[in-house]
Amino acid sequence: MVESLSGTMKRKARRSLVAMAVAATLMGGCATGDTGAAEVWDPIETPNRFLFSLNRVVDIIALRPVAVIYRDWVPEPAQKSVRNLLDNLGEPVTAINEVVQGEPGRAATTMARFLVNSTIGVAGLFDVATSLGLERTKEDAGKTIGLYAGAEPENGGFYLMLPVIGPSNARDGTGLMMDYLVDPFRILTFNLAIDWTAYQAARYGMNVIDYRSRTIFALDDLEKNSVDYYAALRSAYTQNRADLIRQKREKTDTKGELERRDNLALVR
Amino acid sequence: MLLLAIRRVAIRLVAGAAVLFFVLPASAADPSKLIETVAAEVINIVKTKTGADRQAAIRQVMQANFDLPFMTRSALGKHWNQATEAQRARFLTALETAEARAYSERFGQYDGQTLSLGKVTARPNGITVVDSKLNQATGQPIKLEWEVRDNGQGPRITDVKVEGVSLIMTRRSDFNSYIQNNGGSVEPLIQELEARASR
Repeated sequence: MVESLSGTMKRKARRSLVAMAVAATLMGGCATGDTGAAEVWDPIETPNRFLFSLNRVVDIIALRPVAVIYRDWVPEPAQKSVRNLLDNLGEPVTAINEVVQGEPGRAATTMARFLVNSTIGVAGLFDVATSLGLERTKEDAGKTIGLYAGAEPENGGFYLMLPVIGPSNARDGTGLMMDYLVDPFRILTFNLAIDWTAYQAARYGMNVIDYRSRTIFALDDLEKNSVDYYAALRSAYTQNRADLIRQKREKTDTKGELERRDNLALVR
Repeated sequence: MLLLAIRRVAIRLVAGAAVLFFVLPASAADPSKLIETVAAEVINIVKTKTGADRQAAIRQVMQANFDLPFMTRSALGKHWNQATEAQRARFLTALETAEARAYSERFGQYDGQTLSLGKVTARPNGITVVDSKLNQATGQPIKLEWEVRDNGQGPRITDVKVEGVSLIMTRRSDFNSYIQNNGGSVEPLIQELEARASR
């Protein structure tokens, strides 16, 4: 009896070890000896490229033109107010992430910003908090996972092309979902059973347009100066996200980061 | 007495020469000074020149201040070894043209941008990282990191990172993918770059 029990436990332990190994492979990719100089891990490149081409069609016929009109025709102060409003709605999610990242002080500042801007700043239209010395930070769950994951920040699991949203990976895709789930504004509208679908759609829609309008220059540049736009964007996205995560890690691990940079230069 | 005076003068001269010898190359080899000079030159070019003139001027600045052979090699990565000497030379020219064009188009019209230099980190492997911020007239400043290497001919820029995105690493990824999707040889890539350069 005891023997069979211990046998089952062993088997269970073994099974969970295998599961962990599989999970590690999924999340970790080609982590061994990774100096960041390696190519981005992209096991589902074919479907990714397919989605990318669909995204580009949507972008060329709808998103980019709208973003250009928004950038060039909407007065600057109005754009700024929209930006502030959207940022303000995103503030609680940032605060939650900052708590998880172990920075309650930062989270408090973010919540203070949220309270000041939601009231004095007229529902977030004006960023009064910054002029009061409460600096803005932007965190997401992808960065939080990246902060705690043992892997290189360049290694966010497999690369993933999301519809409309665009480049992502296992880490940031998971983060996106987590942020969506914990977003108090989404939960609030859900629990109050008010039909705020239009409001939600407007918020996400505006976020997309605003974000696209701020990336027109960089993405046009990248497209023009690459022979394989998909691969160039994949690399640029991965590096940019890694840099953001590294900035978070650097506070604790400056030496490791500098050593990594040396390795990177040596590999080249 | 006279001998002593001569000796004193001689010592001073030697000391002075030693100071000069050590101070001068140090200041000339200062990576942040290099970035400052390049930024000033480029801003001046962007202000005064347009079109082909600007591209040519920027190319000159790059030839003088960038370690182009090193950058080319980095951009080609593992495919560098299988390229012939002739291919390497053609690739270097094509990439140089592409970079010069990219930079001259990237800046567009001068819009009051300034570059403020930050921390300089010298690394034991010979690469010095110069942090800087490009301040724009509107919007957030852009984070730029310059990698500078001294290969015996004075400090040269080997890479620029924009918001953490290394231009060389991105090119390398881009080129690598193109090579893989076009038969695994360097030739189609060089032809594509040359075709773009002549456009």
